[in-house]
Amino acid sequence: MKTLYVEGDTFLHRLSPRVKLVSLALASLLLFLIDSPAFLVIALLLGGGIHASLRLGWRLSFSRLWPILLTIAAVTVFTFLLNSPGQALVVLLRLTALALFAAAVTATTSTGDFIDEVTVAARPLERIGLVKAADIGLSIGLVIRFLPEILTRYQAIRDAHHARGLKLRPLTLAVPLIILTLRNADEIAAAIDARGIRTQK
Amino acid sequence: MDIRFEQAEARFEGRTVLHPLTLSLDERRIGVIGLNGSGKTTFARMVNGLVVPAVGHVMVNGFDTAKDGERVRAETGFIFQNPQNQIILPILKEDIALGLKSRKLSKQETESAVRDVLDRFGIAHLAERRAHELSGGELQLAALASVLVTKPNILIMDEPTNQLDLKNRGLVERTIHGLDENVIVISHDLPLIADFDRVLLFHEGRLAADGAAAETIARYREIAT
Repeated sequence: MKTLYVEGDTFLHRLSPRVKLVSLALASLLLFLIDSPAFLVIALLLGGGIHASLRLGWRLSFSRLWPILLTIAAVTVFTFLLNSPGQALVVLLRLTALALFAAAVTATTSTGDFIDEVTVAARPLERIGLVKAADIGLSIGLVIRFLPEILTRYQAIRDAHHARGLKLRPLTLAVPLIILTLRNADEIAAAIDARGIRTQK
Repeated sequence: MDIRFEQAEARFEGRTVLHPLTLSLDERRIGVIGLNGSGKTTFARMVNGLVVPAVGHVMVNGFDTAKDGERVRAETGFIFQNPQNQIILPILKEDIALGLKSRKLSKQETESAVRDVLDRFGIAHLAERRAHELSGGELQLAALASVLVTKPNILIMDEPTNQLDLKNRGLVERTIHGLDENVIVISHDLPLIADFDRVLLFHEGRLAADGAAAETIARYREIAT
């Protein structure tokens, strides 16, 4: 079991989760509204500076960011090939800055705080009868909590392929991964019911 | 503790997994044994209402599991076979606090309750730790703390010493024997339940023996060999 949260006592750790989440949402909007490479470079440096202020170290930072950086690299290459170098640069700067901001928020906000804030944000929807706010908060908390678990499970299946000398194929990777994930989801759902967590208002 | 099965039968996908069962349980420590697939876990899940009977009733401290599921689950704590899946939040103290949210306690009251339950099991030093960093025994104690913080009347444990090494098994066994709560323990670990007040033996979805630990365990050995 892993968590994206990293314990610490930095300014961002002490900042209210609500302020962090609202700021991240506003930063995302701004990054997508402005195409100026100069502005995006400043945003990237700011994101890098904030991330560095967490003092996670290069190794931990890279291990947390490489999956998203790989995705950004792929999107950049496609943009370069299908559009123009200028647009590829904008995509690269924009997404990398956003990834750095988001990683800083997830590293300094515990899953419990995420759940509380999302639950509060969903209260207006609950008042008009659309959703149960606690369920929305719990769902998002579970996604944050169990995403790294799915990655660990994928690595175990990949290792099992290697151990048996089998070639990695999408189907033989995906099927056991889906089955194991669903089986775990059943157990987790039962645990949530058994602990009475969904009865909370 | 007052548990009553009244001709309660469990079915799964049209197949009967626990045949009609009538019995009353009021002893403080009850063991449940049987071969794999014998109906032990289904029986335990029926006690806390995770499985409701297709026919008949299960009453726990006066509440019907089919009608008062939430009340029944407030009366019964459940420790699953794999405690990893029971810990919902990554940091231990946050996970324990999650179970108290429905109580509408103040932050101080919640923190105090979490501290008390961690102290009770001697794992206060693990409060800030992540569940994936804990050993098997610590994880089992963490799951116990996460359930007992809500002070249930009955604690059900499904194979609590499964997959533990000798040291951790000893730690968990001592903890179980020291619990004040009413406990129902499903286990293949026969020494663990050897001094329990009553032991139930399930075989092929039926109650095959019910009584003192020594006699029921002896019957189990006959079936298993």
